[in-house]
Amino acid sequence: MRKIKYILTVLSGVLALTSCDTSELELSNPNTLSPDTFFKTKDQVQSAVNASYANLQTRGLYGRNFSFAMDLMSQETLGNPQLEGNKKPFQDFSFNAGNDIIQYYWESCYIGISRANFVLDNEAKINALTELVLPQEQKNKFLGEAHFLRAYYYFLLVKRFGDLPIYKTNNIIGNARSPKAEVYALIEEDLVFASQNLLARGVETAGRATKEAAYAYLGKVLLYQKKYDQALTAFNNVTGFSLEDKGSFYNNFMEETEHGKESIFEIEFDAKNGTGDQWGSQGDSGGTGFEEATLRGQEYGNLSWYNVYPSDDLLDSYETGDNRFGDTFYLPGSPYLEGKKVMVASNFTTSAGIRRAGWKKYQNYYIREDEALRSSINFKVMRYADVLLMKAECENQRDGGSQTAAIAYIKQVRDRANLTTNIAPTKEAVFAAIVHERKVELAGEQSRFDDIIRWGIAGTELQGTGFTAGKSELWPIPNRETSSNPNIKPSDNNPGY
Amino acid sequence: MLKIKIALIGLLITGSQHLIAQSKTIQGVVTDPSGFPLPGASINVEGTQNSASTDFDGKYSLKGVNPTDKITFSYVGLISQTITPGQRSSINVTLVLSTQNLSEVVVAYGTQKRTKVTGAISTVSSKDIAAVPITNAESALQGRAAGVTVVNGAPGSNPTVTIRGLATMGNSAPLYVIDGVLTSNLSGLSPNDIESISVLKDASTTALYGSKAFNGVIVVTTKKGKKGAGQLTFGTYIGGQEITKRYSVLNTQQYLQYAKDLGSDLTARAAEFGNTSTNWQDQIFQTGLMQDYNLSFSSGTEKSTSRYSAEYLKQVGAVINTGFERYSFRANNTQDIGKLKVGSNIGVSFSTINPERSAGGRTLLEHAIKMAPYFPVYNEENLGGYQGPSAVDGNDAENPVRVANLGYQKINNLSLIGNIYAELEILKGLKFRSQVSLDYFTSKDHTFVPSYQDGSYHKQAFSTTAETNSQGQTIVFDNSLNYKTTIAGKHNLEVLGVITKIDGKSQSLVAGSRYNISDEIDQLRYNEGNLGSANYEEKNIGYIVRINYDYNDKYLLAVSGRRDASSRFGSNNRWGNFYSVALGWNIAKESFMENSVFSTLKLRASTGTTGNDRIENYQYSSTLIANYNYPIGGANAPGVSLGVAANPNLKWESKLDRNIGVDFGFLEERITGSFEYFNNKSSDILFAVPLPASVGSAGGGTQIQNIADVKVSGYEISLGYNDRKGDFTWSAVANLGTSKNEVVSLAPGVTSVLGGPVPRAGLENFSRLEVGQPLFYFYGYQTNGIYQNQAEVDAVFGPGQTAVKPGDIRIIDRDGNKIINSGDKTNIGNPYPDFTYGLNLNAAYKNFDFNCFISGVQGNDIYNANTFDLQGMNRLFNASTDVLDRAVVVNGTVTNPSASLPRAQGADINWSSANQRYIEDGSYTRLKNIAIGYTLSGDAFKTYFSKVRFYLSGQNLITITKYTGLDPEIARADANANSAGIDLGRYPQPKSIIFGLDVTF
Repeated sequence: MRKIKYILTVLSGVLALTSCDTSELELSNPNTLSPDTFFKTKDQVQSAVNASYANLQTRGLYGRNFSFAMDLMSQETLGNPQLEGNKKPFQDFSFNAGNDIIQYYWESCYIGISRANFVLDNEAKINALTELVLPQEQKNKFLGEAHFLRAYYYFLLVKRFGDLPIYKTNNIIGNARSPKAEVYALIEEDLVFASQNLLARGVETAGRATKEAAYAYLGKVLLYQKKYDQALTAFNNVTGFSLEDKGSFYNNFMEETEHGKESIFEIEFDAKNGTGDQWGSQGDSGGTGFEEATLRGQEYGNLSWYNVYPSDDLLDSYETGDNRFGDTFYLPGSPYLEGKKVMVASNFTTSAGIRRAGWKKYQNYYIREDEALRSSINFKVMRYADVLLMKAECENQRDGGSQTAAIAYIKQVRDRANLTTNIAPTKEAVFAAIVHERKVELAGEQSRFDDIIRWGIAGTELQGTGFTAGKSELWPIPNRETSSNPNIKPSDNNPGY
Repeated sequence: MLKIKIALIGLLITGSQHLIAQSKTIQGVVTDPSGFPLPGASINVEGTQNSASTDFDGKYSLKGVNPTDKITFSYVGLISQTITPGQRSSINVTLVLSTQNLSEVVVAYGTQKRTKVTGAISTVSSKDIAAVPITNAESALQGRAAGVTVVNGAPGSNPTVTIRGLATMGNSAPLYVIDGVLTSNLSGLSPNDIESISVLKDASTTALYGSKAFNGVIVVTTKKGKKGAGQLTFGTYIGGQEITKRYSVLNTQQYLQYAKDLGSDLTARAAEFGNTSTNWQDQIFQTGLMQDYNLSFSSGTEKSTSRYSAEYLKQVGAVINTGFERYSFRANNTQDIGKLKVGSNIGVSFSTINPERSAGGRTLLEHAIKMAPYFPVYNEENLGGYQGPSAVDGNDAENPVRVANLGYQKINNLSLIGNIYAELEILKGLKFRSQVSLDYFTSKDHTFVPSYQDGSYHKQAFSTTAETNSQGQTIVFDNSLNYKTTIAGKHNLEVLGVITKIDGKSQSLVAGSRYNISDEIDQLRYNEGNLGSANYEEKNIGYIVRINYDYNDKYLLAVSGRRDASSRFGSNNRWGNFYSVALGWNIAKESFMENSVFSTLKLRASTGTTGNDRIENYQYSSTLIANYNYPIGGANAPGVSLGVAANPNLKWESKLDRNIGVDFGFLEERITGSFEYFNNKSSDILFAVPLPASVGSAGGGTQIQNIADVKVSGYEISLGYNDRKGDFTWSAVANLGTSKNEVVSLAPGVTSVLGGPVPRAGLENFSRLEVGQPLFYFYGYQTNGIYQNQAEVDAVFGPGQTAVKPGDIRIIDRDGNKIINSGDKTNIGNPYPDFTYGLNLNAAYKNFDFNCFISGVQGNDIYNANTFDLQGMNRLFNASTDVLDRAVVVNGTVTNPSASLPRAQGADINWSSANQRYIEDGSYTRLKNIAIGYTLSGDAFKTYFSKVRFYLSGQNLITITKYTGLDPEIARADANANSAGIDLGRYPQPKSIIFGLDVTF
């Protein structure tokens, strides 16, 4: 019996040491915040909004690929031999649903949407905060920013893919595609909310979406749907802006002159905050980390990688005396590096021969010799010149519109370019003038491809490039989606893919 | 739980009532075949508790033996002998080495006699390990343990080990147990310190490790001190290793012509560099020197044993600026204090790894293939001293020599693995054991890259420093009771109960900075940088019971159960129950078999379950990520948003194992062998399922789900033969294993999942999961030659399309919709072999010994991602000489119909990563090792040494394969199931020649 007692003593000791206390197994993650306790302070609400902005910088969007894809499709730029294999298909429209640039574009936009939805899904929590923590006006403007960004991303998507799965709140079940019209309806709804709740330019910190930006995009979205009257009304609310002065066109493309008088909305870059994991996959679509620079300057620049060069067709589109030409392109003889150096023919040498020109818009050569440090120059994605030309288009197209009024808008843009304006006041002549003016004013600004698609002239403008009418207007839904979303099958893809 | 405890105690008490009749005492000496005394050999009267062990002169004395008793003499690593004493009172025994069957087998929480094993276990002895000079202990299993595959990587990296094929979709690495310490690899262990390795393959042997045992268990026992006079041994080897195979790429002359055809005239550019022709592959491969020195001292008295060892290993890699250096130390001690035994096994190792470096997410080999041949390696005029391309070259591959050699990357590891235990014999046969184990590591990964400028593409105006520091510890506290008894002389019973508690913690600190001022400082500084840290914790509790019963060694029964809780699951699914049952029948011991040829014949069958909790910590709770940034108003605006999509319903992955086996031995064990068949089913396999991209970061891209059920079945055969004719002894051991897996079902709503590594970031995934197919088979486009003219193209796509042209690959339009899209993809390859095999030949004649070891795999497909660079031709890079035979298209017609490759820069789909053109047969047969040794004899030596042996060996000297890559034994990207069979151009296995010396003083 003593032995049994002895054993029992030992055993109870063992049991005490390795007790069944399963509460010890209840661990919480010490490395992250929890959604249950979030949205308690102004900083928290603002940081949730910031996260949605951060996705504009991904390599799938303005960090890298977006400009290539758009400028190549429009044939404003063409690839030198070193242009990478995933970008080349945009020049001849041979891309397929496996293309990673299309995938990252899709992912970048939808991740941006889900971050905006993260704010909107918590609207009740935000509105429940006291006035002391967050005044109502601030609550409204944060929600307005989320609505603006959601609209911005859906607009990027609907232009490229047509019918889309729509997520008004976050969930992890993939939705089926909804008709394009429903997507536009949501975008309009979001932008209307944004235009009513965002702060005005001058009140809001530069870099955040403003009331005027919301009106400009609302107008643009309506114009894309050919709702010209409504669009014009929206554009008329974009007040307080003017064109950069004659001779200062290049102010739109430099770092020091960001958020100038012509600028309505910009995609922000600032390399001093960090250039992140340069080629890692983090920045493709997730927007994590400090990737605060864009690769555009390095990849476009003729003193750097020179992956693309301006096409002859674009160079030849400029009228003699158009002062935008010298601000858009570098040619042999162009000064750079604060005027200390001059470009020579060998600066345009590629393995396929010597090119006529290189890009100047958004390049840092005006102050630097190369682009090795990558670029901090913001993309001015909505500037007043664009609004003027869109207003001209509305006037020209709307029932009862005035060609004279349209010509007046165009004239403002041409005056700044040091050109005379002599357009016949007919619908056709004004339209032709708008087509030309948008091509040269907005060259290399990812505008032309969208324009020729919505005007229905892509088939003729892009003849012989590989563009197939009825197919190439849209990109394919990426395989990454069709392989993981049970509600969108490969057979549901856009025509021809 | 308390009820089980009480029941256990009850059992223990009933068992201890038996007493044994006594008669006389037997004495003698136990020796090995060379006449050396064997200290510590055990002598046991069968079916009783009456036993003794030999002293350090090999002498024993056993009381109370009846003339008809059967006395078993056994010693680890040698064949046991059973003798009936009759009237003798003195019996001297010589125990001989077994070819494969160790008489004592190390199993979970103890050892077991081979004859009593009912599960599937492969063992590798210290002798096998010593036969081939290896730098990591895992390599000892390659080709030796049936059903185990081992794939090595770069020096210092952990090999990928798979037991009985893939049964999971996450980490497929087995559990390692070193002297009872649970760990995840054997990297800190010197192969010289290993006494034996047991591979536990079925649930009856692994279920005791419950939630950790899903992928099988590798139990390693380190060498202990031996009773007897102190013995000092010293071993060393030195050798060279080299990668001899090269891809055939274009030389400068060929490259210039090829570039011209692609629209780039580089004649003048090449002339600038004097028309050199650099072979970049020769520049990145080198002859690496390996050296190893090991020293051990073993001693023991009646009451204690100890063994101390030290090893220094230095391996210069066969790829430039790679290498591995390790110092390892080990001290194993035991001490008997009456009924109390205490001991410790502690190993410490310090290692430095120079890993294979990469840049831009591309391997050195990829850069070496793609780099234009007209560049010289070095250029003193460039910052950093290397030459690389500029925009004018139209080719932006990086100089691989600069990538490898400029600056450095060093990983310093410290690993401490050890245990301290105490074992008390409470009653005769009843032992209580308490053990604390520690697995502790620190790791510092430091990278420094100074500023450089090779050309207009590759430059860095500042120096960068990055460092990751991590530290982790797992403490396991085991308390066990073991009771062993024999009832009525024939009922042998052993009961084990264990309570185990596992507590794991790890933390990491990641920092990086850049410095614009100078390259002279390679330390972190606050100039422009990033910083982050993380902490992880993991806890498990387990209760374990095992009962082994046999009737007279003939009929065997083993039952075990384990109840486990893991902190990785929510409280709703935290506990898991695992069990096993096994039966065995020693037919050879039946009286009707007495005169048969069989010396061993045993049938066994087992079934049971194991679990898997190997997912990231905290996956059941939702998190936010606070790592989004956007510059607003000149300052950073930090962002926070949704992180991982939580799955509060996560539960254990579980596996049902079924195994039947037969062990046999003929002609007094000259021929031995075993056959096993297994049929396992894994259920609720955990996998990070890719969520639809359109749901955005609502799910962080993936969600861990219990997604699939998978069936794995196969068989394993081992055969051994050994013979002796005078001075000539020889043995042959062959094994063969098969394993076939198939996805049985997927979670509701999931029809398929794509994943796995790709040749380039951003390319399409091609490893797919689908019901009725193997796990992560290759899924992509089937090809059928090349379109010769426009009519052939139009016949498929109709007129008017421009994406595909003559000279492009004819991808089969399987669904006939006149469009090549993902609907045309199908099964294009299976990464798993039909079977793996090994053949080990040993021979000795007088003072010479010889070993030859062949291993291979058959029937697997390899996805050769290097083909993407060699034959892809999607833009100008250097390429394989195969591109000289590409389709040439003139006026819409291919002018060389026999061309083996499509046109250069053809349709996008030509080089889609999901394409049959990258799939190759990966079968190979490899001479892993061939060695010849000579042992010095003569009395002159005996004065100072007890043994001196020299040997010369060669590894991987001959490989027979159709695979065109540098090495069919491809280094895996990671331990995840979906990286199987994909050759991304990582460190190929080198050939090596080694000269070694072993001395025993």
